[in-house]
Amino acid sequence: MRTPQLALGLVLVLSTVLPHGLGAQDVAARLDGRVPPEAQRAVRGIAADAAARGLPVEPLVQKAIEGGAKGVPADRVIAAVRALAGRLGEAMAAMHEAGVAAPSGDVVEGGADALNAGLSGGQVRELMRMSHPPYDPALTLRVAATLAALGVPAKQTVQLLAGMISAGRSLGDLLSLPGQVQTGVSHGATPAQAAAGLARAAGGTPPGRSPGWVPPGQRKGHPHKP
Amino acid sequence: MITGYHPLVKRLLDGELSLAQLPPELRAEGEEALRLVGAADRAPVALSPAFEERVMAVVRRHAASPGRRAWRWLNAPREVELRLRVRPWAVWAGALAVAAGLVLLLARPAPSPEPRGGTQQAHVGTRDSVLVRFVLFAPGARRVAVAGTFNQWDRSATLLVPAGTSGVWTTTLALPVGQHQYAFVVDGARWVVDPAAPAVADGFGRRNSVVAVTAQGGRVL
Repeated sequence: MRTPQLALGLVLVLSTVLPHGLGAQDVAARLDGRVPPEAQRAVRGIAADAAARGLPVEPLVQKAIEGGAKGVPADRVIAAVRALAGRLGEAMAAMHEAGVAAPSGDVVEGGADALNAGLSGGQVRELMRMSHPPYDPALTLRVAATLAALGVPAKQTVQLLAGMISAGRSLGDLLSLPGQVQTGVSHGATPAQAAAGLARAAGGTPPGRSPGWVPPGQRKGHPHKP
Repeated sequence: MITGYHPLVKRLLDGELSLAQLPPELRAEGEEALRLVGAADRAPVALSPAFEERVMAVVRRHAASPGRRAWRWLNAPREVELRLRVRPWAVWAGALAVAAGLVLLLARPAPSPEPRGGTQQAHVGTRDSVLVRFVLFAPGARRVAVAGTFNQWDRSATLLVPAGTSGVWTTTLALPVGQHQYAFVVDGARWVVDPAAPAVADGFGRRNSVVAVTAQGGRVL
């Protein structure tokens, strides 16, 4: 009787291919009932293609679900997901050019957001390079994307973040930048003016640091050797 | 009245002893016991054939009930013999497959609630999450929810609670540190950006609010 052995062998084979099978099933299950049926097939195809290219699938699923929740027509959901997949691909290419061989899905998604907000591939690479630990490149890119989306010019956005990082500002300080720009705008400033004010403030000593403090990796000037 | 016979008298009744073998003081008790036993009518009771037929008819009727038969079939214990012939490598392969399946299931990333907030303060909830308060002024609304990447954009997953009759709706969520997008959903259909939070294009021609959640626990926006 070979049936038990065959069944066990089948289980073994299935377990080998389980990650891919589950991934596809997972996407389908998450879209089911949340995305218009006519969009589901297209989104599954886009997601499968993205996965084959090593791109993160989660942002695509989230975007499709968001469109479904908002009652967006199927063709617009497909278009938005396809556009996002394209930006993820561009962001991945920018990461590779920045010397990051296998960026995480969050980083690629942050890069795609930054590209969508108007930053160039070169600016994304620059933000990647400056986001050395303890700074998280994914969060740096997302903050940059939000600043640019608020109307801060892309070049000024990169300069502001570079100044914050070189000044050793905390991750929380970076995350609070969009809110501070928003506050400045609500008080009558343009986004560029609000960002310029924040850039000037970033040059000062961070809260909780002594006046002679210098950011990690920078040399402290000698008082007798200017 | 005798309530219990002497053990020797009981042996007399059982035929193990004779009356002569009893001690003289027990012989009267023995004689009385023998007399009472001898007075009993030991003739077999004969039931009428009609009575027996009536009893058996009731028994057959109960036995013929489909429900009772089914119950007996379901309830009756049976002996089951299972014989398997499996080679050792097949057992190990099966165990390996089960273990691999368990590892993959455990390694699957759990759906992570992503923190997003609007006009709120954040306080440290746990090491990796922060309590974020969402507030919307929506006088006249019958129902307000917040949807975002932290709840799979579910319009009914996170409802806000009205603060009295002032038109202010609030809720507090534990969200992880980071930057997140969200929108309010008024009366189940109208998507509203948070007027106190930055907003970005959502790719569908509308806008999403953005909240940055920091671990410091201070005001985030």
